[in-house]
Amino acid sequence: MTLTMTREAATEGGGSPRSHRPRLITKRNIPYLLILPALLGFVSFKAYPILAALYISLTTGAGAARTFVGLDNYVRLVNDPLFWTSLWNTALILVVQVPIMLLLALVLALGLNSPLLRLRGLWRLGVFMPSLTGLVAYGVMFSVILSKDSGLLNWLLGIFGIDAIDWLGSPFWARIAVVIALTWHYTGYNAVIYLAGLQSIPKELYEAAMVDGAGAARRFWSITVPQLRPILLLTVVLSTIGTLQLFDEPFVLTGGGPDNSTLTISLYLYENGFRYFDFGYAAAIAYALTLIVAGFGLLQLKLTGGKK
Amino acid sequence: MINRRGVLALTLAGTLALAACGGGEKAEGGGGPVKITVWSWKPASDGLAAVAKDFEQANPNIKVDVQVIGNPTIWEKITVGMAAGGKGLGDILHIGIDYLPSYVDKFPGGLADLRKLGADKYKDAFAKGLWPTVTGKDGGVYAMPWEVNPIGFFYRSDLFEKAGIDPAAIQTWDDAIEAGKKLKEKTGASLIGLNKPAAGSMDMDFYQSLLQQQGAFYFNQQGDVTLSSAPAVQAMTLIKKMNDAGIVADTSGEGTAKKLISSGKLAVLPWAAWAASYIPEMRPEQKGLWRVMQPPAVTPGGKRTAIVNSTHLAISGTSKHQAKAFKFIEYALTKPEVINKVFKEGGVFPALTAAYSDPMFSSPTEYYGGQPTLKTFVDSLNEGADATFYSSDYARALKIASDAQTQVLTKGADPAATLATAAQQLAQQTGRKLAG
Repeated sequence: MTLTMTREAATEGGGSPRSHRPRLITKRNIPYLLILPALLGFVSFKAYPILAALYISLTTGAGAARTFVGLDNYVRLVNDPLFWTSLWNTALILVVQVPIMLLLALVLALGLNSPLLRLRGLWRLGVFMPSLTGLVAYGVMFSVILSKDSGLLNWLLGIFGIDAIDWLGSPFWARIAVVIALTWHYTGYNAVIYLAGLQSIPKELYEAAMVDGAGAARRFWSITVPQLRPILLLTVVLSTIGTLQLFDEPFVLTGGGPDNSTLTISLYLYENGFRYFDFGYAAAIAYALTLIVAGFGLLQLKLTGGKK
Repeated sequence: MINRRGVLALTLAGTLALAACGGGEKAEGGGGPVKITVWSWKPASDGLAAVAKDFEQANPNIKVDVQVIGNPTIWEKITVGMAAGGKGLGDILHIGIDYLPSYVDKFPGGLADLRKLGADKYKDAFAKGLWPTVTGKDGGVYAMPWEVNPIGFFYRSDLFEKAGIDPAAIQTWDDAIEAGKKLKEKTGASLIGLNKPAAGSMDMDFYQSLLQQQGAFYFNQQGDVTLSSAPAVQAMTLIKKMNDAGIVADTSGEGTAKKLISSGKLAVLPWAAWAASYIPEMRPEQKGLWRVMQPPAVTPGGKRTAIVNSTHLAISGTSKHQAKAFKFIEYALTKPEVINKVFKEGGVFPALTAAYSDPMFSSPTEYYGGQPTLKTFVDSLNEGADATFYSSDYARALKIASDAQTQVLTKGADPAATLATAAQQLAQQTGRKLAG
């Protein structure tokens, strides 16, 4: 391969003696030139920080006072009750939120895909909009909705005779509030992915099934679900990874409180890095989180049969 | 779903990477006036900007650019700048006492030692209790005191009267609790308000002031953990007593505190000097209802003063114009007439003792029924507050103490046991010793 290419390049140059000078652009290196910008970006903004963070996780202090401490930060991590609290909170939110959100997204996608729906573009836009909302707008909006005394949600509940809920002040409800906000933010995103999946299912399958006399439920379970399987898997993995790194919602809504009931791993990482200036420890948390994310990803691929 | 959140990890990693590369900065060459940048936040920055103009006129070779970075944004910007070896920092940095020791300890060289610029001669110029806090473990002076906030006890005189309470008779916080019960019964108002679940933000100033009145804090001067010391337990027990007596309102939630205040449901605001100008702005219609006095003592005969917090001006260790920057700081902070102008324009209570002889510190304030409000605070400072040692792990201590307070207030946890666990956790997290 290499030889052929070189010869080609040489012949291409024609008889001129100057063609022996190495040229910047040859057929062989064009692909590399094309990916060069992305490669440079990757090396400087991803690979380097990732490696630097690994080193930093083995140190303590900052700047001139940085000293190498080996695995001290990781030992500290294992013995840190707050880290385990944050892990537990994250797991709890994950287990409750991801299934609810994905189910809801699927229902929305089925609705949006229905030929009976009018103004489809508008509905789709509406469903997708929340995932475009900026962090600050989102935080302000939810603190207004969830306010204990003057919040929209408590007002609504009041109409049904339900007592005001202290959404952000009680450990239990604060977790629910995070789940609600998270679901609001990302359901549309997943619904759009499902919608794309639904639209790629060949119509012939449904027609054939109808000819065979299959009802709507039967068509859903025997055609839609199996056909969507790779997409379902994708969203489960993406959502799991996303929720494991949960930060925005507790950051803007609860600050991790009350009494650390919504402290997530990423929030704890942030606090250690930017509140406590404990960069080494923060980097160690980041690596622990990476391991957990990787572990979960692999496990899910295995369990759900990542094979083609 | 991952996109936005992934950014966080990357940002952090990126910052860490920046920290790794660090490096020096080019010296500024050429003639013309030298520009000094000051990082601060509103409204304090307004006061500084006002006197910066006068300074520029007297020193035509120096331009002062007061930049409003904003609080709390400024902390992250300083942290990132210091982690990057001082790149991009302002020459002069406005730093709160709660952050100062962190910057000094965690970024050696990040702030200039002002002794070499002659700061030592101002050692006794500022309110007692401040100088030890701007002095590092190595004896270096890392900031000049600008603003001091002595604790106050703002109370609704109308409600006190209605309940038949003589504020002058309240000598200790235990007296205040008895008064609080009467207030609740007669007027329906709570004694104080606290953000009990610490939802949104932590609310530890009151607890801290109870510690500070006893000359205690989360750490002692040696940096050992004192979160489970007798004064710490005493202070938390007082808060629990108030809470159990039903005289602590929950101020969690957007705007709850303001609502309680405007509807007369809070009889006391245990706020510091900054509130003297804030309350009239916030509740102009309650003119004449508020008064201020020194807070009661924790123990009979104990101190009734405390410095809740203070803010300072420091010079970046990598600034190329440290001498000129110090010249401006000296001008702004050590001359009574200048710092009082800063006070008038920016509303921050001056740390400079000589400033208090100005008539405005003893003149009656109309809003407070003709009471000389500022005099209360000057008296408080003259009584001599103890220094508070925030240490470089204050942020962590604050969080852990706040969790403890939340447990006491919302779950009725036992103060001594809760603080013992909290202190242990703090020691484990910071690698510090528990004070004996």
